[in-house]
Amino acid sequence: MERFADEALVLGTVDFGDADRIVTLFTRGHGRLSAFAAGARKSKKRFAGALEAGTHLTARLVTTHGDTCRLDGVDVIRSFHHVRDDLAHIARALYCLELCRELSRDNQPNDALFDALVHYLGLLDDKKAGPTSLIKFELDALQYTGFMPHFSPCALCGQPTGDRPRFDPEHGGVVCAACAPRVPRGVAARPEVVDALARLQAGERKPLPPELRARSRELLNLFIAHHLGRKLKSVEFMEQVGTD
Amino acid sequence: MTPDAINRLVAQLAKLPGIGEKSAQRLAFHVLRSPPEYARALAAALIEVVDRVKLCSRCFSLHDGPEGTFCGFCNDPRRDERLVCVVEGIADEMAIERTREFKGRYHVLHGVLSPLEGVGPEQLRIKELILRMQDTPIEEVIVATNPDVEGEATALYLTRLLKPIGVKVSRLAQGIPMGGDLEYADQATLARALAARRDL
Ligand SMILES: [Zn+2]
Ligand SMILES: [Zn+2]
Repeated sequence: MERFADEALVLGTVDFGDADRIVTLFTRGHGRLSAFAAGARKSKKRFAGALEAGTHLTARLVTTHGDTCRLDGVDVIRSFHHVRDDLAHIARALYCLELCRELSRDNQPNDALFDALVHYLGLLDDKKAGPTSLIKFELDALQYTGFMPHFSPCALCGQPTGDRPRFDPEHGGVVCAACAPRVPRGVAARPEVVDALARLQAGERKPLPPELRARSRELLNLFIAHHLGRKLKSVEFMEQVGTD
Repeated sequence: MTPDAINRLVAQLAKLPGIGEKSAQRLAFHVLRSPPEYARALAAALIEVVDRVKLCSRCFSLHDGPEGTFCGFCNDPRRDERLVCVVEGIADEMAIERTREFKGRYHVLHGVLSPLEGVGPEQLRIKELILRMQDTPIEEVIVATNPDVEGEATALYLTRLLKPIGVKVSRLAQGIPMGGDLEYADQATLARALAARRDL
């Protein structure tokens, strides 16, 4: 039994029994961890609405015998509650949280990913994060966790990807027409989409038109689903409510 | 050795929410020690519930009338049909009903939009709410989902569907609970309470 405090973001919660809640935290010092919050749904004072997806807080934790820590208390740093004013902002925030829940690892701190997530939630809260910024966040998050997709040059031969590129998550990204026979499971990608993603990845900050965003989304969904082994649930949600 | 009949009862009881193996055993022995009429009444009540209680085909509240008929709320002529309160579940409907303040009708969504659980509009009774607008003169929809992320997402989504068809949409006020303590209120609650302040 060891007590410690850590800066954390709430990635998600699951109700447990009538009164308790299990919270998945992304902590700065200890990576992802699960914490048992006794009485979280009954006691209004102890956790005061803080144990909701997206809250940035300082968590007071106690190690236990199993894999789950005990959450003794929290101090909210920022609740990002303006995100809740807009359905598209809620969808983007929850998508990022789900992506980080899948990309982060237990006991493996990742400062770059943590900072990127805090920064992005802040942008959403300040109403400064449009749909293109979500794609940029995904590209950064993938890079910080060792899954960076490759858009230029060709992932196999290093030559320019040309006007008939193919995209294959298994080989890390985009390949040129000459290398296409080596990636039978690759899908055709439009050169302007590949170019837009390469520019975003390189740090260019220019909003993409809806059509390019939709095509970029398809490639990223494919890439993320391949590396995580499943499609993210919040992607389906965004599709159903018609937002990106 | 425990008789199989008891094991079967314990196994069934242990499937109830919040009931573990130990509690299930205690309940089973309680049933066994009670007069046999109690067990028969309990069994009959359980069977009656599943046989008779259905969802109202208009508002999806619980209802024990014949198939295809409406529930007590929908049939009560004293309730204002121009006002509809949308709730996540039956428990919320009962909580609002207990206040005796609300004299309109209900609509039970049977869930809430939950992006992280993959629950989208198609899994809820949202389409049915929109269809209701076509055959009843509904003027105002009060969205009484919980003030958490999922509840807010649901309220925003409903607003997006209802506003364009000319329905007034309102949301339950949020803020400091009665008998609450400002000092212990979280920043989000305080900010909402400030934004929704009223003139005196
Ligand atoms: Zn090549
Ligand atoms: Zn009804």
